Amino acid sequence: MTSQAFFLQPPRIAVWLVNQFTPPEESESILGDLLEEFSQLASTSGVAVARGWYWRQTVKTIVHLAGSGFRVAPWSTTFGIVAGLLLLRFVSGLPDKVLSALTDRYLAYWSTHFKAYMFWATDGMLIGHLIGSMLVGCMVALAAKGREMVAATTLGLIHGAMIGAALVWVAGHGPMDVRWMLWSCADPLAIVVGGAVIRWRRSAGASLPSHT
Amino acid sequence: MSGRDYLGEFEHIIVLALLRLADQAYGVTVRQEIEFRTSREVSIGAVYATLERLETKGYVKSRRGDPTPERGGRSKRFFRVTAKGMAAVNRTQGALQSMTEGLDFIRSYS
Repeated sequence: MTSQAFFLQPPRIAVWLVNQFTPPEESESILGDLLEEFSQLASTSGVAVARGWYWRQTVKTIVHLAGSGFRVAPWSTTFGIVAGLLLLRFVSGLPDKVLSALTDRYLAYWSTHFKAYMFWATDGMLIGHLIGSMLVGCMVALAAKGREMVAATTLGLIHGAMIGAALVWVAGHGPMDVRWMLWSCADPLAIVVGGAVIRWRRSAGASLPSHT
Repeated sequence: MSGRDYLGEFEHIIVLALLRLADQAYGVTVRQEIEFRTSREVSIGAVYATLERLETKGYVKSRRGDPTPERGGRSKRFFRVTAKGMAAVNRTQGALQSMTEGLDFIRSYS
């Protein structure tokens, strides 16, 4: 009879993370190796120890694979990230322009729906920023084939650091809108989500023939 | 590549592990062999990143094994050292031996 540990699954989020950062040609062997050792460890030392080990391996593996992704194609990855930063700068102004254009065009509608206008003028713009950031994440990931998450995460981290520096500066020069601050922090996350979407689409596309 | 390159520390360890494991060298066994012999925790990502680099340099070759149920139906990737890799490990070993020859480690560090 097969042991119970054989059917145990490693932490799903950890598996997902490893899969996101692993080059497609290596993901099968890396995930297989991790599952094999996880099962061995779960049957000898217990599930809790095995899960802890899997998470440690996940974090270290992601760091190594991210570094290796940069070493494999340093120029194209750097170019993609710099282009992403420029694109972010361009995209950040778009929601304001779209908002102004639509407000002017549907002035009669807004005058009778003031609540909708308020939502449009405040949250609508912030949601627009998030969608813009997500699209930039998608574009950077599309350009960095096989290293989608490395490029998108690095861009997200750089953008996050820039936002952090801006927030510190704003905090030192007067009162700060907490709501605006929280929305700003969601921008880097949206970039990473954009990268994950592209990675997921590519992985799904690559695995289609094996299911037939 | 100049063909006269030496292996880096971790590359050297990985190649020696492949030589020890012979035809049983894949991610799990390589990682465990290194942990067992060096008492240093190694991530599977570090092993694969280094093996990938060694494969690009032509020092190792890989082949896919059959998928197994204990791996969730995923296949193993077996690695072996090439002739070029053997030359590199010999060169590195020779350089280390030459550099350590005549050194009295116990006296030097006491």
